[in-house]
Amino acid sequence: MNRKKIIWPMLVLLILILAGCSGNQPVTEGSESAAPTNEPTSQTDSKAPEELIIADQEIAAALDPVQPLTSSYLVAIGAGETLFKADAEGKIQPILADSAEAVDAATWEIRLKPNAQFWSGKKLDAEAVVASLERSRELDKQIMPYIQDLTFSAIDESTLQVKTARANMDVPLNLSSYQTLIHNAEASYDSVEHMDLTGMYAVTAFEPQKRMELAINENYWGPKPTIARVVHEQISDEQTRMLSVLSGNSHIAQKMPVSAISQLQAEEAVTLSTTPASNTQTVYLNLNRLKFQDVKVRQALAWSVNREELIVQAAEGQSFPVTTWLSSNPAFAEARNAVYTRYDLDRAGQLLDEAGWVLDGSGVRMKDGEPLSIKLMTWGGDRALGETLQYQWTQLGIQAEVQHGDYSLIETARESGEWDAFIEAWSTFGEPFTLLSGQYAPTGGGNYGGFDDAKTNELLQQLSEASDEASRHALALEVNAHVAEQAPVISLYPRSQITAISRNLEGFVDHFRPFENLVNENLKFVSP
Amino acid sequence: MGRRLLITVLQMLITVFVASLVLFALIRLAPGDPAKLLIGRTMEIAWDAAAYETTLNELREEMGLNGSVFSQYVSWIGSLLQLDLGTSFYTDRSVAAEIGERLPSTLLLAGTALIIQTVIGLLVGILSAVHSGTWFDTVVRLLCVGLASVPGFVIGLVLLLVLAVQMGVYEISSQAALSRLWLPALTMGLLGAPQVVRVVRANLLSELGQVYIQSALSRGLGSTRAVWHAMRNVLLPTITLMGLSFTSYISGAVVIESVFAWPGLGEYALNGILHKDYPALQGYALVMVLSVVVIHLMVEALYVWLDPRMMRRKKEAAHE
Amino acid sequence: MNSRRASYTLGFGVALLALLAGSVLAASWLSPNDPLAMNVGARLQQPSMEHWLGTDRFGRDILTRTLHGGQTTLISCGLALLSAVLIGLLLGALAGMFHGSLFDIALMRIIDVLLAFPFMVFAMVIAALFGTSLFHLLLAVVVVWWVGFARLTRSLVLQAKNSTTVDAARVLGTSKSVILFRELLPQAFGPVLVLATFELGNLILAIAALSFLGLGSQPPSPEWGSMLADGRAHFMTSPHVLLGPALWIILTVLAFNCIGEGLRDRIDPYEKARIG
Repeated sequence: MNRKKIIWPMLVLLILILAGCSGNQPVTEGSESAAPTNEPTSQTDSKAPEELIIADQEIAAALDPVQPLTSSYLVAIGAGETLFKADAEGKIQPILADSAEAVDAATWEIRLKPNAQFWSGKKLDAEAVVASLERSRELDKQIMPYIQDLTFSAIDESTLQVKTARANMDVPLNLSSYQTLIHNAEASYDSVEHMDLTGMYAVTAFEPQKRMELAINENYWGPKPTIARVVHEQISDEQTRMLSVLSGNSHIAQKMPVSAISQLQAEEAVTLSTTPASNTQTVYLNLNRLKFQDVKVRQALAWSVNREELIVQAAEGQSFPVTTWLSSNPAFAEARNAVYTRYDLDRAGQLLDEAGWVLDGSGVRMKDGEPLSIKLMTWGGDRALGETLQYQWTQLGIQAEVQHGDYSLIETARESGEWDAFIEAWSTFGEPFTLLSGQYAPTGGGNYGGFDDAKTNELLQQLSEASDEASRHALALEVNAHVAEQAPVISLYPRSQITAISRNLEGFVDHFRPFENLVNENLKFVSP
Repeated sequence: MGRRLLITVLQMLITVFVASLVLFALIRLAPGDPAKLLIGRTMEIAWDAAAYETTLNELREEMGLNGSVFSQYVSWIGSLLQLDLGTSFYTDRSVAAEIGERLPSTLLLAGTALIIQTVIGLLVGILSAVHSGTWFDTVVRLLCVGLASVPGFVIGLVLLLVLAVQMGVYEISSQAALSRLWLPALTMGLLGAPQVVRVVRANLLSELGQVYIQSALSRGLGSTRAVWHAMRNVLLPTITLMGLSFTSYISGAVVIESVFAWPGLGEYALNGILHKDYPALQGYALVMVLSVVVIHLMVEALYVWLDPRMMRRKKEAAHE
Repeated sequence: MNSRRASYTLGFGVALLALLAGSVLAASWLSPNDPLAMNVGARLQQPSMEHWLGTDRFGRDILTRTLHGGQTTLISCGLALLSAVLIGLLLGALAGMFHGSLFDIALMRIIDVLLAFPFMVFAMVIAALFGTSLFHLLLAVVVVWWVGFARLTRSLVLQAKNSTTVDAARVLGTSKSVILFRELLPQAFGPVLVLATFELGNLILAIAALSFLGLGSQPPSPEWGSMLADGRAHFMTSPHVLLGPALWIILTVLAFNCIGEGLRDRIDPYEKARIG
């Protein structure tokens, strides 16, 4: 056998295979040495780049802002604008609007920025705004909750009149949602050339769900940004996104995994923005189940939740406990620790004893020969949260089960009514009445458990009629606290959105709505 | 020959038709309502229930979801006959165009990975058969077992960490560029190589044990030439395997595509499943069935081309 | 390769498997830790004397979970694989036996469709109709996994059909079923076994890949596939979280592989059957 000839390709192959195989062991050294070895890449960036690359889990699938979620990406990337916008403190600021004034309880007048115009140079007048909002109303399936009670008309060239179906609505707040993005209703949006928005950046190239390129809009009505070009890139794997920002291939990476926090914090090349968003991770209970009709059982479940531990186990410490639903909204921060002021297992046990669910010899709570059981459904990234809750409730003697799966399984269970509990996180930023009635009024779309409480309904009624800001705020807090006591749902903590930002990028603003506040005109590159 | 061809084409058509029916039904059996997903789920503001129902119904009507599954199928087949794969629920774009955008990058990755996998597999397989029972053979077996039992994401992410972050020789982006091809292709090739090694080694050993090779060797035929002769018969099962691998690669190597952000059909199918995008999923499945049938035919043709004499005897095996 | 080597391989495989099975069965006796007890203070610890393979994100001992998880994984994946192999052997042999028949053609076309169809959709449908437990996931797996074995068996049977022994049996008037079970199936058995040993690893990994859809073993009970899937989030920072399940999977696949190869050489010592 001619061995010599065979040996050398064999060696080459061995090395090849070993190189691939070595995935098993050297990871430990790899991840630890990642920080120091990262310098060469940051040095190549020291000549400030002209292009800002943003890696995101998903980018727009279409150019037309009325397509699902497209408006959110267009706002985030600086291509589109709304009349108003929430600032980092949650205050509503005019953007395309100049000022807004409530003429009477059901009428608002909104003056537009006098110099505002579209990319094409067409002036942004009241007619154009009305046409844009009406187009969205007709075509955007997600805009309804924001404008269903509003009617728009143009008074003169620069003044918009808004009539509201209910008294005392906060129109600017509703018109700050990304779904109300103002676009030229006469444009067709079937190609980059046919788009016409108002933002500081204009789209120059687009590959759906892959890559969107933008350049400074020369017709921009406001202060122009300094970075010439922006690229919004879809990299759906969270760990790959993290590696992309670490390698210097991108400058901002959105939606980082919480599990990567410790690694990212150790990196020289990036900073982190970890602002908890204004939504509340909430356990919804099915009040049609006999066992959950007893308020004591629901309260016991709420008292036996150790939120601090949940945040460590399921969110790597990147959030804060929230015991009442509305309080993840910055405006209601005072209620974060209301009602369930501490983790109290004894009190929970006592409540269950009173409700007749007593411990048997094996540590399970029984009543009429039945064990107290709860099947918690979770989806998406909430598996660890479900698992920790399961563990905590098990400590109380409850037979807790977790079923983690695709969202559609929760949906199916909801339709059939065959469910105990599941976790969702609705937005808590918006008009208090809309928010709270959506969750707790018998007709609320987010009232899954069938909560129907006379006092809550009455308070909601008062809230809808309250005419001044202070009493609305007080009433909202009252509803919020009352519902927490009744415990049809258990509030846990706000979801955190983690963004990694390259250190050579300056001017990124932490925002509780990071999914629509990525790009601003002050962003600029600095040499590290 | 003409008759045979006709029968083959007929079989193909029936397969595709039956498959399309089954796929259509299964996709609709899966849980979840595409209309509800379009209106939006959490992270938003909850609706008033009545307004929600109205909008939902309008949307379902618009998406053609209100009719019976059978009538939906008939209208789908109807537009299919006009070569229209429909419009995606989620992106509102033509499914044919979307698949057309992703098919080239998928084919490129699948083809390259297939070549790498086959080259490595053939070389290592031959070497370990020739040196069967030596330390080399044992090492190869260990490596094969290792590669077959480690999740693809581990290898992919470690390669990215080393090559993109630490050495900076690989660019992470969403582009299906040639300069970005080598790493995912190499990873896929490495992960696929063990099965080729296994097939080549086993078949070659079996051929080398055959009487005709043994007698040729005893008559003084060089061992390299003996291997060469035996390889002719090893090629056929290898081609079978290549056909199978290629099928699974083009239907989407979801893990590799997502780790390397390679915009291929796997991601498309996955998004289709998560968004319940019926037209996208149907289009994807149809294209896949067609490809499988075509690959199958090509493998068969390759058999005939490689060895016309074997045609009759091996025709059956060619079906693999 | 001589038969002595073959029995070494077989012996090694059996010994390794016995060791693994022993470690898994004696899990609660071998490890003092509770596989379910969480400990916030001991999250993601590196391997140490106290925790030989470290702890996971909930502070649970990984070695303990690996051993306990082995019971679920080995039994369920073994059963699923066995069913897939049996179905594949039977259908493949019948198709090969009656080559060219309507049954054969239909089977091959069904295989085409199964190969083309996204497996995840199957899994989702099964989950929706029946449930999301590990059992249902494996049911979905078996529905598609038999395909590979059927194709292999069929091609082997086709080859064996032309061999002289089968010709002789046919001339002697032996019934078809006897030929099938005495002559054809035994020849297919070896290669199918070897394929099966490789597929075991793929099967466990497939479970890991599907757990993001929520199929498979539900928390908190440990299972290798879902341990791998859960470990992915922490793999970049704490790679040791994958070590336990990965090591046990590799060893299991190796053991099965050695047993398969050894058995094949024993059954078929003269002419090693083809694999294709």
